[in-house]
Amino acid sequence: MAEEPESTLQLSPSTAADGEGPTEVSPETATPEPPSSAAVSPGTEEPAGDTKKKIDILLKAVGDTPIMKTKKWAVERTRTIQGLIDFIKKFLKLVASEQLFIYVNQSFAPSPDQEVGTLYECFGSDGKLVLHYCKSQAWG
Amino acid sequence: MTDDKDVLRDVWFGRIPTCFTLYQDEITEREAEPYYSFPEKDLLHCPSKDAIEAHFMSCVKEADALKHKSQVINEMQKKDHKQLWMGLQNVVSTWSSQEIETTQRVKQDRFDQFWAINRKLMEYPAEENGFRYIPFRIYQTTTERPFIQKLFRPVAADGQLHTLGDLLKEVCPSALAPEDGEKKNQVMIHGIEPMLETPLQWLSEHLSYPDNFLHISIIPQPTD
Repeated sequence: MAEEPESTLQLSPSTAADGEGPTEVSPETATPEPPSSAAVSPGTEEPAGDTKKKIDILLKAVGDTPIMKTKKWAVERTRTIQGLIDFIKKFLKLVASEQLFIYVNQSFAPSPDQEVGTLYECFGSDGKLVLHYCKSQAWG
Repeated sequence: MTDDKDVLRDVWFGRIPTCFTLYQDEITEREAEPYYSFPEKDLLHCPSKDAIEAHFMSCVKEADALKHKSQVINEMQKKDHKQLWMGLQNVVSTWSSQEIETTQRVKQDRFDQFWAINRKLMEYPAEENGFRYIPFRIYQTTTERPFIQKLFRPVAADGQLHTLGDLLKEVCPSALAPEDGEKKNQVMIHGIEPMLETPLQWLSEHLSYPDNFLHISIIPQPTD
């Protein structure tokens, strides 16, 4: 099992060595991330406790949106929805100008600056947060 | 003879009233290059009124997901959602005395228009004592976190109504004064300090913002 690199609170897509945002720690993912000391952020003071634990996100495609090969991701709680959108767009090789919408509970689109940790606390189930993503507005 | 650049400078600084008209083929779809630096990290872009409407409706939907598992908002028709948004928008007014009266009447209509739909979002089943969970966000000046939002029930297991104080004790204990200590913070909603004994269910029904959330600010007690 690959070692989890420390992650910064900031969410630029390349905290990890290979440029991918959320790290994969779930056994069903394809490529384990190599341990990377470059990802350690000694500067930021992070509160101890569960703010450092990652949460599991399950991504589901809607309509004719391309399906991610890897659907399950372990993500830092402080990652924002916008950060996640940028990551998915990169992963799916979408053009920057193409829009991507993310929905919780197949009912609302969280604000881009919302943290996934908060969404997981409020809307997670069975130990994960299920998010649907779509290139068009699916649920208004 | 004045230089072109002197004239342009006067135009730029508004010393010469000028009317600009673009020819059709000069108008492009390209966004104007910003010459200031937009605070990308602090603000969300608001490209259009539709974007604000979409954001508002998403907040209302998120609140209802917490209150009613989205049942109430999903049972509404699209026109009801529209009515919420329309009721919220400001009325443009010019202030002649006749129009002031009209404006006040229209503002009342907007209020009624909004609440005709919003009151349905404030209902709960007769057998319950309140919503499933209370939609709230707590904002503090002392942390980097954008806000605190967690699941919190309005009613305790023994049927007692949880208060604002109960909520803070559970999710933000640093906001409350220690037992025998001095009050360090003000807990504000809409700029007022509700009593900490106020039932949270009541606050959610009556003091929520139009997006159906209780936005609670914790600010240091002023020392004057």
